[in-house]
Amino acid sequence: MKKSMFALFLIGVLAFSVVASGCIGGEKETETKTEYAGKIAIVYDVGGRGDLSFNDMAYLGASKAAKDFNLELKEVQSKQESDYLPNLRSLAKSGEYTIIIAVGFMMTDAIKQVADEFPDQKFAIIDGYVPDKPNVMSILFKENEGSALIGALAGLIAANDGKDTVGVVLGIEIPVLYKFEGGYRFGVAWAEDYYKQKEGKDVDIQILYTYTGSFTDPAKGKTAAQAQLGQGAWVIYQVAGAVGLGVFDAISEYLQSQGKEFGPPFAVGVDSAQDWIKPGVIIASMMKRVDVGVYKAVEAAVKGTFKGGIVELGLADGGVGVSTIEDIKEMLESLPEDVRAKKLEEIGVASEEELLKKIEETRKQVPDWVWDAVKELEEKIKSGEVKVPKAFNKDEIEAIRKAKDWKEMMKLAEEWESE
Amino acid sequence: MKIDTLVKPLMESIVAITIGVLIGAIVLTFSGFSPIEAYKALLDGALGSTYGIAMTLSSATPIILTALTFAISARTGIFNIGAEGTVYFGAIAAIILTNVVGNPLVGLLGGILLGALWSLPAAFLKVYRGVHEVISTIMFNWIAFYTVLYFVLGPLANPNDPNKTIEIPTSARLPLLMKGSELSWAFIIAILAAVISYYILWHTVLGYELRASGYNERAARYAGINPKRAIIWSFILGGLMSGLAGATEVMGRPPSYAISQGMANIHGYGFDGIGVSLVGRNHPIGIIFSGIFFGILKAGATAMQIEAGVPLEMVKVVQGIIVVAVAVPGLWDLIKKVVRR
Repeated sequence: MKKSMFALFLIGVLAFSVVASGCIGGEKETETKTEYAGKIAIVYDVGGRGDLSFNDMAYLGASKAAKDFNLELKEVQSKQESDYLPNLRSLAKSGEYTIIIAVGFMMTDAIKQVADEFPDQKFAIIDGYVPDKPNVMSILFKENEGSALIGALAGLIAANDGKDTVGVVLGIEIPVLYKFEGGYRFGVAWAEDYYKQKEGKDVDIQILYTYTGSFTDPAKGKTAAQAQLGQGAWVIYQVAGAVGLGVFDAISEYLQSQGKEFGPPFAVGVDSAQDWIKPGVIIASMMKRVDVGVYKAVEAAVKGTFKGGIVELGLADGGVGVSTIEDIKEMLESLPEDVRAKKLEEIGVASEEELLKKIEETRKQVPDWVWDAVKELEEKIKSGEVKVPKAFNKDEIEAIRKAKDWKEMMKLAEEWESE
Repeated sequence: MKIDTLVKPLMESIVAITIGVLIGAIVLTFSGFSPIEAYKALLDGALGSTYGIAMTLSSATPIILTALTFAISARTGIFNIGAEGTVYFGAIAAIILTNVVGNPLVGLLGGILLGALWSLPAAFLKVYRGVHEVISTIMFNWIAFYTVLYFVLGPLANPNDPNKTIEIPTSARLPLLMKGSELSWAFIIAILAAVISYYILWHTVLGYELRASGYNERAARYAGINPKRAIIWSFILGGLMSGLAGATEVMGRPPSYAISQGMANIHGYGFDGIGVSLVGRNHPIGIIFSGIFFGILKAGATAMQIEAGVPLEMVKVVQGIIVVAVAVPGLWDLIKKVVRR
């Protein structure tokens, strides 16, 4: 019985292939093939294209690099987490790719394994920590530096309005997020000092922080933000992926209940220029330039400067930063026409110009000197005059939480760096 | 078994595959892709190399097992869709137990036992309180999700990488059948499980009782069969298969050998199993082939993206069409059976 079944199954496969090949002949090769100098491949995580954040930014960087260096770009999406390894292996097996880029730390295990199996293939992983493979470039970001700028912005907005509380809503308590929290704390402390020197008044700003335990549940972000608003938080920084959408909602509703179109209280976005999601509510975003990271990896592979190990992109490399109007424009323009129209409709504005005008208006709610101060801190971090501590574990974040002022935190930073 | 009962469903399946493939080709053409290139990439990627075949078979492994869960219940006249949650429990049992005793057998047994245990509440609710199994198993899936998630994020979190649980120790991992692939002994185990299911269903008294009460509960009772007992056994056998799916998945699939946060690496197998079972006409041996068919589609998806440049969304659409077309005859049988009852 099994035999006949197998035979019939084979017939099925045969029929399948006959149908597939039966169409041959109707097709004509009409497209002119451009000659590429090489090929690169990018593997997205299960979030996939269209997330308006991580994966889309990676695409932005890859497609720009492909254009600049005349490369053919192959994109592979992953349906399930168990697809990462087969996807990477299939690409590596062909041996055709100058570099294969894995987007997202969830692919760390898979990259490690494939890198050992194909020692001649160059890989890069965004956000994954692979320090010891000669053929894997790990691209990490100094989120602590970007978050410090956000902390300074938040602290100064609060101080300027005579408030004494700011907040941060985070995702699952994992070491990466300590970088954000630590940097934010540093920035707020720096703002206290800056304000004191400018106005001669002592301010003591309290920082509320909530680890929601999720990256995907906006309801948790909303609850956390409402609690922080209840305790007087004047600016809330979200570091929680989709949970952050709930933070935006909470503040937006709060503003509506006060009959206000613009904050404060404000929210701060993360990863991409999220300002456009809720104009009036979101004062700025901490940009993590995944596109810059991907571009640099391709550039290194093409120019022969590729080296395995950790590459950390900070403010000075353009890897992180506070979102600008230009960033938002670029983000919007990278969207397909129909998606953009739909998004604009959802937000409730007639055109892109109107949206950008509203975002500019939002930014004007904060006095210029605050923005200048943030700029000043940025320059100081870039030049190395100010060092932002990078917390990697519980002990380190506790040390930052206990530190009295930013100078003490900077001492910690110097201590950890020299280790 | 009469040859006629075998040939008819097979012919139906082949016709259905052909129709699905043709509709898929039309959709591809209208979306601006070459169907020949796309299907060629699919077949080439899934069957054109030893690695491709390994990918196909390893993708087939968990869904063959979860399909058995559905098939055994369906043969008993029960619509058990609790495989998804049971997979989670099978996986977590394997992780806990192998970290106590680093032996693969312990992990497999643990997965089987917890899987069977987890299926009991729904069985008892069905038999003694008349709660419909579709409702209860859907809800139990969520209970399973959050219970196991608690362990993944809490007590079993890997201190070096809190996004996943502690790993299965090397000594308890299922060896790979082919180096540099994802194909492990789990596949052999799945095939054995299917053959054993076939044997139980058609060559034992218990199997006869299951099928008899599936055909007609009242007639079965009249013949001296206890349908309640049959239903409980169908849940237990089903739970055991999905528990095994969870255990083999974490014990046999590189690279992580752990459960990721949000169950990302073992998610969805339970529901995919329903489709596999329908395509395999709820027959354990048919399920082996339909599981491999699904494996081909899954392994081919990578090649369709790389070689033919068809985006994953499009790949999913085409595969969805093929699966729906192929599942129609099986679904039709099932509906007829339910309506008749």
